[in-house]
This record gives sequence, structure tokens and C-alpha cells, in this order.
Amino acid sequence: MTKPLLELKGIKKLYPVRKGLIIQKQIGTVRAVDGVSFRLMPGETLSVVGESGCGKSTTARLAMRLIEPSEGTIHYDGQDITHAPRAELRRLRREMQIIFQDPYASLNPRMTVEEIIAEPMVVHNVGDNASRRDRVRELLRLVDLAPYHASRYPHEFSGGQRQRIGIARALSVSPRLIVCDEPVSALDVSIQAQIINLLKDLQQEFGLTYLFISHGLAVVKHVSDRVAVMYLGQVVETADKATLYANPRHPYTQALLAAAPEPDPTRRSAGRTLGGDIPSPLNPPSGCRFHTRCPLAQPRCSAEIPALREIGAGHLAACHFAETVPDFTRFRDGYGIRPRLQARLDLYARKRDAVASAIQ
Amino acid sequence: MSAPILDIRGLTTAFKTRNGPIKAVDGISLTVERGKTLGIVGESGSGKSMLSLSIMGLVPPPGRIATGEIVFQGSDVLKYSPAEIRDMRGNRISMIFQEPMTSLNPVHTVGFQIIEAIRAHRKGSERELRKEAIEALRRVQIPSPERRFDEFPHQLSGGMRQRVMIAMALVCEPDLLIADEPTTALDVTIQAQILDLLRELQAETGMAIILITHDLGVVAQVADDVAVMYAGKIVERAPVGAIFDDPQHPYTIGLIGSMPRMEDDVERLVAISGVVPPPFRLPVGCRFNPRCPFADDECRASQPALVEISSSHAVACWNAPLEEHA
Repeated sequence: MTKPLLELKGIKKLYPVRKGLIIQKQIGTVRAVDGVSFRLMPGETLSVVGESGCGKSTTARLAMRLIEPSEGTIHYDGQDITHAPRAELRRLRREMQIIFQDPYASLNPRMTVEEIIAEPMVVHNVGDNASRRDRVRELLRLVDLAPYHASRYPHEFSGGQRQRIGIARALSVSPRLIVCDEPVSALDVSIQAQIINLLKDLQQEFGLTYLFISHGLAVVKHVSDRVAVMYLGQVVETADKATLYANPRHPYTQALLAAAPEPDPTRRSAGRTLGGDIPSPLNPPSGCRFHTRCPLAQPRCSAEIPALREIGAGHLAACHFAETVPDFTRFRDGYGIRPRLQARLDLYARKRDAVASAIQ
Repeated sequence: MSAPILDIRGLTTAFKTRNGPIKAVDGISLTVERGKTLGIVGESGSGKSMLSLSIMGLVPPPGRIATGEIVFQGSDVLKYSPAEIRDMRGNRISMIFQEPMTSLNPVHTVGFQIIEAIRAHRKGSERELRKEAIEALRRVQIPSPERRFDEFPHQLSGGMRQRVMIAMALVCEPDLLIADEPTTALDVTIQAQILDLLRELQAETGMAIILITHDLGVVAQVADDVAVMYAGKIVERAPVGAIFDDPQHPYTIGLIGSMPRMEDDVERLVAISGVVPPPFRLPVGCRFNPRCPFADDECRASQPALVEISSSHAVACWNAPLEEHA
């Protein structure tokens, strides 16, 4: 059996909340990430989904040790890196890179594209000036930019192009693991699709492993092998993609799936929405953290914390009633793109491919 | 059939620059029916927000409306005096914006800001206005509105802030609500709540809504009619059913194909290549031609007009219907 590339066990990140100017007293704890465990196999994409404040980005940063965990262990390639010293981490980070959400804030406006893409190679002492320059040209081609872009500055590029630069930078030191922290959330729809396609192509070409962070379940469906759903600092459900979308067992997963607006005007989802606001992680609800919004909550849910337990092969859910939660049927009968629209989409794709091959 | 509540004819909003005028909105005509929702879809830079600001008379200088008419309830808004425009804004036409935090004043209570919106249009005693504002908060389903009345925006969640914005926009019972990306900044479960709320309020008050968004999913859920904008022009206009069943313009098809879908497994998305051109470097001919797989010499030479292919469906494409030109 293959070993996981990355494994998190019971990871917690607690931020103390202090009050007072001179004599500081701790008056509470923000439980940003509260006991998250998962395994990431080489070559697969694990997506972590959830709404704002659920701790998904914090989890990603913890996995790379960009921030220090309060509790728990992180294993990378079989090695415990929870307390790895700085020098060791530096070596590791050559293998784990990150792509950020905001393509505007994540590129230094005073550096040229060449400097930006070459920086990880400089940091990790990869190659000499000449070989780095060649590598930058090669990377630009890989992400569908042109070699002459190397001497330009970030402000000369659109959001999608900047995200391509960010991807080229992450790829420059040939990492094994890339953490994608909402890489398409800030982009226009048509550009999102380009970047998603690019990420998938690169994964196939280089056998990359992705930890993909997103709030969009539709995007996640498109890129992942497995999905972990987070709510208020905890994983509430994990499963392979097909299972999670066809048979979600946690009421929160079901609610998330139901809330995504369907691009089909004949199926409007009035009256199926989840009420209430996301509670504060400073003072999370007792028992199951979702019980304040759960349409199926029972007295037991507010008293007893549900464990994340196996309810099927590779399918884990943290709900007392995971077995008896009603089936989620939105994507079942009569669902799918209508034939006329599908025909148009096919026509478009055929024509586009024909044009693309004519250019080459 | 009754007259449309809003009838825009040949509207052009231009910005004067050193390199000549830039047309953010370029000769747009559209109508909004009473009690209906018009969804305007487009990516950033398509001019959809500038269109809504034009209707409200809020085009930032040096931009100005160069040509056209905006006929609202029978009279041309562009001929209004400043006093008449003030009377219209917030009273007969209201607007809500994407980012509820920046649209609310952080140093005043929520209640004060709602009362301010009422006071701009009519007088009333403190007690009456307070009652009215609390009622407005209740209508947008804010729990314990009496308590929320005295809170400041930072004490509210994003979803609650957007509800406050909607309460403020609707307190004078406008006939038209312009919602510019009202749910883009919100989480998906909260987005669903706000969309439900807008639908309910519309059923209750009979107001018309212009919903501006880049999200075709949102459009499919709430719009009656759809206008697809690209680079300052409307490229396709149709009832919502037709847009998702029989899209004609290659851009519309590309947009729909770009959306990752949850219901089926597509290996590759039908992405649109390239980017939206900046308004100072528009291509000759059809503005979509550099990104369009169907583009031919005619598309590169002259701009297609928005032509009706049925009584309700119009498209601006030389190659429509595509099957005959593929």
C-alpha cells in the first residue's frame, strides 16, 4: 500500500483572546481549527470545502507549517514534521508550494515576472542564472504565457494571467505537493475555467498532489478525488467525490449542496435554504457545532459531540444520525444538462478545438 | 400588455480620456417589466455596473451619459432636475451594492441609517420613524429587530449587513430595485437566504428588480429575463428559460460551459480562451471575435447588431444560428 504524502492527526490551532493593556488576561479562545485529521495520497487531490471562518485556509497553512499548530502532528512523506527545525523546513518547502487566492496581493509589484518566478529557485539554490532564465521561459510556456512576458511587471497582467504567474512560481522548484488556497475564487467565470483546466493538466503532466481549498462545491467537484467538508474548525464529512455528491450523510454537506444556485431556471430551490448565521468560533455551540442550524437537530445533538466515524468505505461523517439522515436526491432523477444546451456546448468545444489545432 | 417600468434606449455612457472617449456602456437598449426581474450577466469590465450607475444618475466624473434615453415610469430620467433625481433615488429606484460593509456607515447605528433613508424623502416624528425602521428590519427577517436597531454595522455578520442594506433600500417602497452583485461577497448558504428574501419581497411588493451578477447560477434562480453583456454591449437577450435551453451567442455558450457543474462529470470545462478586452483597445468588428471559435472575416470586419430571432429572443452574432454556420 502506498504511504500518504501528507497526514494530519488531530491538528488544532487555538488563538488566545486577551484583554487588558498591561496585565493581560486570557478571556477566551478562538478555536480556529479544532482537531482536524486527514491523509493526502500522492497524486491525488483532496479538497477542503466550507464557508468563511470554518478554518479551511488555516488548515492549509498548518499543513505547510506556515503557522504552528497548537496540538496534533503533521507527517510529510512518512516523516514527522510537527517540530521540524527551520533548516529542515526549508528543505521540505521545496517540495510543498502554495498558490494564493488573491493574484493581486500575492505578487510583488516591484519585481518583474522573471524575478517572481525565479525567486523560489534562488531561495533554494537551484541552478545558476542561465539555467534559471531558461526555466522561467519554460514555465511561462507551461502556463500558457509567452516568454516575452518575463520582463514585465505584475500590474501589466489581468487577474487570470497573474494567477498563471503564481502557478509558474509554485512549479519552479518542481514541488510534489501544491496547496491551492482558493485559486479561482477571485477570477471571472470564463477565466476560472481556464485556470481549473490548467491545474488539471499540470497535475497530470507532473503527477502533482493538490490540497485544494475552496468554498465552491461545484469547483471542488470538478478538481477533486476526495472531499473534506469543514464547519467551524472541524471536519464534518469526508468521502471520495462520487460518494460525497451522490450520497452526502451529514446535514451540513446536504445543506451546502442544496444552497449552491443551480444554473437551471426550471429547478428553483425556494424554501430549501438553511437558516441562521455561522456561529463564532470564539464560542462554538455545545455538542454538535451544527446543531443550531441543523434542520434535523435532536436533543442529543446539543449535549453530545458526534465523533467523525466511518459509515461506509472511506466515508466518514460526524453526525449522530448519519445513517438515518434522509437521502439527498437533488442530483438524481431527471437531472443534467438538457440536450439542446449540450449540443451547443459540444459544438462550441469542437469548434474551439479545431481553431486551436489550426493555430498549431 | 402594460408599458415597461423602465425603458432604456440607445444609452451610451462615455469617459473622456487623453486617448479619446471610452464607452463603458455602448448604445444599450433594454426594458424591465413591472414586477419582473431582469438579470444582467457579464464578467468584470463588461460595463454592467456602469449601466446601473447610469440609471441612478451616479456616473462618476469624468464619465457622462453621451446619448440615449432612460424612460422610467413614462418620463426620461436624463431630463430630470437635480431635485427630481434626488426624489427618485432611494424612493422610486433603490440600489444595493456588493460589499455591505463599505456601503454602510461604520459610525452610525443601523437604525439611524435606515431612518436617514426615510427622512431624505418625507418627514415624520422620531417615534414613527423608529417604528417604521424596525418594521423594515423585521421585513427582511432580521431576528429581534428592536435590538438590532441600536447596533453598529461591525456588530452584524455579512448576511445581516446585506439584509440591513435591503431594508434600507426598500423602506420607501421603490418600484425598481437595482441589485449590483448583492450576494457575491456572501457564503453560499447565506447567498441562498438573501436570494429567497429578494424573491419573497418581490412577490409581496410587486417591485421590479435589475439583478447584476457574473454568476449564471444566481440568474437561473431568480431572473425572469436575461441580458448578457460583453465589452459594453448586450450580446444576447432572452427569457431565462431560453438562455439556458437555447443559448445563441458564442459568448453565452462559453459562459455556461465555463461553469463547473455539480450534476455531471465533465473532464474538461468548455472554457473561453483569452480575456475581456480593455475598453480602450476594443477589437474591430464583433467585440468577441478574438475569443470566439466561430469568428470569420465578417466578424472581424463589422459589428453585428442585436437582432430578434423570435419575439423575445435577440442575439448580436453574424453566425447565429450557429448550427448553420459551423
